Amino acid sequence: MNSVRIRACFNNIAVSWSRHPGRGINSAWTHRSILHQTRCQSFSQSAARTGIAAPEIDFSTNEQIRDVSLLERVRVIPASPSYFTAKPDFTDSFLSLQNIYRKYQTLPTVQPGHAPRVSWKSLAQYRLLVGEPVKAAKYHKVLQILGRLNQIHPSLMPEEVRREIDSYKRLLNAHENMPRERTGDGFGRAIGVGRRKSSSARVWLVEGDGQVLVNGKSLTETFPRLHDRESALWALKATQRLDKYNVWALVSGGGLTGQAGALTLGVAKALLIHEPALKPALRRAGCITRDPRRVERKKPGKVKARKMPAWVKR
Amino acid sequence: MIIRQLMLRQGRRALFAPTRRWIRALNTETIEASLEHHIRETQPIEEFVNSQSHVPVQPTDALTSESETEELTTAETWEAIQAQKQTTGPLGSALSHLYRPHELVNNPPSPKDISVESLIAAQAHLGHSTSLWHPGNSRYIFGIRSGIHIIDPSITAAHLRRACRIVSGVTARGGIVLFAGTREGQERCVVKAAELAGGCHLFERWTPGSITNGQQILARCKTKVVDEFDNDVTHLFGDQLMNRSVLKPDLVVCLNPRENYVLLHECGLNGVPTIGIVDTDQDPTWVTYPIPANDDSLRCVQTIAGVLGRAGETGKKARLEAADQGIITFNPAERLRNPGSRSGSESRPSR
Repeated sequence: MNSVRIRACFNNIAVSWSRHPGRGINSAWTHRSILHQTRCQSFSQSAARTGIAAPEIDFSTNEQIRDVSLLERVRVIPASPSYFTAKPDFTDSFLSLQNIYRKYQTLPTVQPGHAPRVSWKSLAQYRLLVGEPVKAAKYHKVLQILGRLNQIHPSLMPEEVRREIDSYKRLLNAHENMPRERTGDGFGRAIGVGRRKSSSARVWLVEGDGQVLVNGKSLTETFPRLHDRESALWALKATQRLDKYNVWALVSGGGLTGQAGALTLGVAKALLIHEPALKPALRRAGCITRDPRRVERKKPGKVKARKMPAWVKR
Repeated sequence: MIIRQLMLRQGRRALFAPTRRWIRALNTETIEASLEHHIRETQPIEEFVNSQSHVPVQPTDALTSESETEELTTAETWEAIQAQKQTTGPLGSALSHLYRPHELVNNPPSPKDISVESLIAAQAHLGHSTSLWHPGNSRYIFGIRSGIHIIDPSITAAHLRRACRIVSGVTARGGIVLFAGTREGQERCVVKAAELAGGCHLFERWTPGSITNGQQILARCKTKVVDEFDNDVTHLFGDQLMNRSVLKPDLVVCLNPRENYVLLHECGLNGVPTIGIVDTDQDPTWVTYPIPANDDSLRCVQTIAGVLGRAGETGKKARLEAADQGIITFNPAERLRNPGSRSGSESRPSR
């Protein structure tokens, strides 16, 4: 009701000004204008009582802007409604993201775990993007909304959401980086490289009758221990293919145990090129995983990595 | 005698239970056969019904339905559901006088909708336990019921109307109104109120010193120069905005004063008037214009924020209408230099 009164007041001023050019509102002594003027007065008096920060405007004088310079009709206001949050850009982008989420909340989603894997921008990258000190907890909220938007079914994903999601993605998606598929050379040879401790082995595997040459020597000459010989060809033995392939290998570095372990991995990788379906069997046999253990470094104050010097009384 | 009693007690079970099993064994028809028989019986009926009406009847058996309907994709299913909703949505009885929680935010009430009934419906009258009261509120308290103070809703309505006048007056004079509600769930109504009134919002923690030490805290927040029609004319003033003092709100509306003492204190130090929802456990002197109401009810807070936002909207409209009439209702920005010597840049933007 009050706003109506204000509008009526303004309208009246304008109307009376146009009717009596060059004369103030006080000179327009019609019944209606008196009525409106009293209303105007009460309005400005109440404003004065409130003591608001802006100084009171005297509505009784006519302010004309037809020829008023630009400087007298401009004001400085916050560029964003989030000005007083001290992080206006972040707050605005968060609100727009929330609005998009609310808009497309009811779209069907894919089953949990079936959404495309996305690597989002890290917190540091995001801070660089918005140029404001965003807290980790706040960015976590952003990521939660993004994760939910990413679950929208791809066949119904709106263009707006796709654009918004893309702006939060990293330039390179680590999840799209797949290892290249290995194939044998054209002559039926498959090469596999394996490592264990400080040894490394290159293994060429061809279909054959079970001959093995390691560094140009037979398996027995290379590995005097039975256990090493077993483990070197464990991939073939576990899948019962000892007599179906010939192995020609070059091993270097480390000791016998390491070289045997490196051969295991190399043979398994080469075998996978011939028969990819053996992967589960080889994983169960423990031939796929690289053993990451290395010699632990020696520490000061210790004899070896962990061994303490002998205790001497005094 | 014993035998006769046995016959009476157990005879029925002993005689009839095996009989049922025999019947099942004697019946040569298997379950599959009986199902087929059933389908054979129902299919002619379906065919007859389908021939009579133009709306086909869904087939009852899995075999027929599988062969006839193809599996829909997710998008097709979704579109079918939407079409179904569009056709069946307007059916049924029309409901009125419903409380739809989102409507308070999406389409808030205006100051003329304030009534004692609407305030009571929003639980604005419920105060705190009598032992928690602040005696400064005694003039707002209607009585005690079930151990809590009841706020007089007519006083609430009166104070809310006064607050509306203040908000619309400030926006009519081009002031900056800051709506602050930092409690859980107040975010949407705060943002909406600020959007309506053309003001600012704050729904997370108030950074202490944003008014008293604004040069440090708000230094990197951008400002803009607008003319009387709210058109952005920043580009005309070049880098003159760079070394200006930061802005202060001209009015602060605080929906949860208890948690925002620092904000209100800074406003008090800088002569910024404040409007706040004052519950019965709250010191009403923290704010300039208290609105005695229940600040723990989200519905009440949304009502009050929406009404104040609408009031700000009417004030803003009045300012723009006055600008249309050629009246400037705000004090122009000080210490801005003329952008160019030529008067061409000062011409009114075309509307």
